[in-house]
Amino acid sequence: MLESTETNSEPFILLELAGTTYGVRSRFVQQMEMIEKITSVPNAAPSVEGVVLARGQVIPAVNLRVRFGFERIPFDLRSRLVVIKNGKRTIGLIVDTAREFINLSLGAIEPPPDAIRGLSGKYLEGIATIDGRIILVLNLDEVIELDTQINEDGAGVIA
Amino acid sequence: MSQIDPENHRDFFAQFLDDYYAESDEHLTLVRRGLLLLENQLNEPGVPRTLLDELFRSFHTLKGISGMVGLVEAEQLSHHMESYLRLLQLGEVPLSSEGVEVLIAGTTMLEKVIAARRNDESIPRINEVLTRLEAFETASPLVERSVDDQVVQTAGTVEAKDDQSRQWRFVFTPSVALSEEGTNVNKVRSRLLEVGEILRSTPMVEKQGEISFEFVVATTAGASIFDTWALGNLSYAPLAEEVRTSEYPTALAATPETTEPSKASLPASATAMLASAGVVRVDLERLDDLMRMIGDLVSSRSRLEENLKNARLRMPTDDWRRLQETSSAMARQLHNLREGVIRVRLVQIGEIFERMRFVVRDLARESSKQVRLEISGEETEIDKFLVERMMDPLLHLVRNAVSHGVETPDERRAQNKPPAGLLSLSARTSGESILIEIADDGRGIDVDRVKGDAVAKGLIAAHALFDSEALLEILCAPGFSTRLKADRESGRGVGMDVVAKAVTELGGRLSLSTTPNQGTSFLIELPLTLAIAEALIATVGGQRFAIPQSAVREVIEVQPATVKVLENNEIISYRDSVLPLVRLARLFDLGEKRDGPFHVFVIGSGQNALGIAVDRIVGQREIVVRGIGDPLVQVPGIAGATELGDEQVVLILDVGGVRRLAEA
Repeated sequence: MLESTETNSEPFILLELAGTTYGVRSRFVQQMEMIEKITSVPNAAPSVEGVVLARGQVIPAVNLRVRFGFERIPFDLRSRLVVIKNGKRTIGLIVDTAREFINLSLGAIEPPPDAIRGLSGKYLEGIATIDGRIILVLNLDEVIELDTQINEDGAGVIA
Repeated sequence: MSQIDPENHRDFFAQFLDDYYAESDEHLTLVRRGLLLLENQLNEPGVPRTLLDELFRSFHTLKGISGMVGLVEAEQLSHHMESYLRLLQLGEVPLSSEGVEVLIAGTTMLEKVIAARRNDESIPRINEVLTRLEAFETASPLVERSVDDQVVQTAGTVEAKDDQSRQWRFVFTPSVALSEEGTNVNKVRSRLLEVGEILRSTPMVEKQGEISFEFVVATTAGASIFDTWALGNLSYAPLAEEVRTSEYPTALAATPETTEPSKASLPASATAMLASAGVVRVDLERLDDLMRMIGDLVSSRSRLEENLKNARLRMPTDDWRRLQETSSAMARQLHNLREGVIRVRLVQIGEIFERMRFVVRDLARESSKQVRLEISGEETEIDKFLVERMMDPLLHLVRNAVSHGVETPDERRAQNKPPAGLLSLSARTSGESILIEIADDGRGIDVDRVKGDAVAKGLIAAHALFDSEALLEILCAPGFSTRLKADRESGRGVGMDVVAKAVTELGGRLSLSTTPNQGTSFLIELPLTLAIAEALIATVGGQRFAIPQSAVREVIEVQPATVKVLENNEIISYRDSVLPLVRLARLFDLGEKRDGPFHVFVIGSGQNALGIAVDRIVGQREIVVRGIGDPLVQVPGIAGATELGDEQVVLILDVGGVRRLAEA
């Protein structure tokens, strides 16, 4: 096991989605909230549940399950809206739950194997294994990109 | 300084560039006005000295700031125009119409160069204009003697300045940390200007991608003065003698940027006014932030109002009334606060009207027409945000008026009109709106021909009623042009469709009136402010929507039995005519209401009237308009969002977009 030191590790927030753990660099995460009061937006992409108000700003709420091609499930008390700020865009990601926080040694992140490139592999920056637990590190640029809705049945809805 | 985060560094430079664009805009405005005045002075004896001084100063500043951002072409152009003006100031060459012409050509090119840099486009070639400019300067090369003359003329004292002044080379490397302390390039520059004259300023990119600025300064001050400044990252050294003969003539020593005490008596110039201490240049984004915060306050207060309403029965009446009074007072104060911030954002519309003078002059000359431009209401104040977005539409309407509206002098004489066409630009406020009118006294729009073209293109039915609203709609249809061959003016830039789009996007209206042989007038009506609007609140399938009040003509209640189905369309009778209906529930795929009366709001008029059916209109109120910034949720038919006090986002309908969706 690699020892993580101050300089080459970074805090990550762990998201649970359909039984899998994903990691997002915590510097991209603005806040995490319970899911409430989403306003649906007509004719938006299927993964876009709607818009919510976050710190006075109207932002899209993207259902990450739908985005990654998993089955849609009703929101419950564990569901979370993870608000990420990437460059100029602020977007809410709806996940099954998000409770954990870990320091991940950057050396522990390896590129995703070719075998999972197909499905959600496109959205991955790498994979880390910590104490036998697999963490998929999200590539946020791809997750919020408009053109990469390969898994959504409504792909191409957005002009 | 290698610890500079490259990202911050880029932001830093972008900020610096923004300042450059703002400052060059200000000076270009002054220059344009000055040159037109100069042109009018051509036939008068004696050119006013103050005018030449102001132009000289503006070009001098443009040269300096262009050098600082490394825009060589702009620097060169300004340099040559500055030199020519110097000759005019000294009376070494007489002012000629060719001279003014070449200055105008140079300024137009200068604008293009700066605009190209701003838009990240390739910089236009300036060689031809430069050659023309050079021809005017070589008439009499600058001689050292003229420096002393200049000092005598402007200051009244003879000072052998050049004997005492030395040239120094300063290098300043900005950093984010320094900038936070208030030390930035502009501060360094103004410090240097306090002690001497900046002969040259150049940005340099160093190995790690850092940017530094080199200034060559002529000053009588010594190192002991610079030492006391304590400006971090500023180094200096005396300049070697041979550099003195740089391409920039040192004869510019007596410019307004030197601030020797004796120069204080210079006439107050417009340039000095722009930089005066009482004026602060504020980034529009900061005002937007303030506006947003006020918006939040307005939302909080509506929440308070809501809670008060709910608490009414559970509170002693006296207590409740006192709270209610406080809440009302807050509402008034908020209103005043909002007005105050809006006033800060206002600029006079005259600035863009002045630019039109230039355009009109050029166009008239090219098309051998005579045009008299009348401007009124230039002091009308308009939101800075609106001004920037109205520039292109106005430009297009003015071009249209000159190229299509105004006739040639011969044609006009045949109509018993004065040979010069009249184009008037006016602005005024009316209630919560600003009205901008662009009117010409030309031939008017050939309505029959437009209608013929529209029928031929299948845009309208041959028997359709063709009023001015329908005419405007046709003119603004994308790709519609009344000219078979797009000519130079209408072929470039924006078309009428873009004009209409810009106006509606800003929540405004465009209207038109035209009379054969008497002229055409376009009226643009814009809201005074953008951030807060009156809206109707409607429910559709359980979801609330806000509809801008300004777009709605009327709200009617409809009984389901009165709706007639015609092929795939639903219509109802309305004011002796029929009104097509669009059901928002179907358009937006929301649950549909099955029975009982429903509400319809009417948009457009005459042939364009359309009824948009919702379940119910539940209220009318002031809303804070928030933009929907992310492309994931920018959809047709939705213009923005608001919140009504319960933290739930409510979408604002884009009425024009709903119409287009329905017709698609």
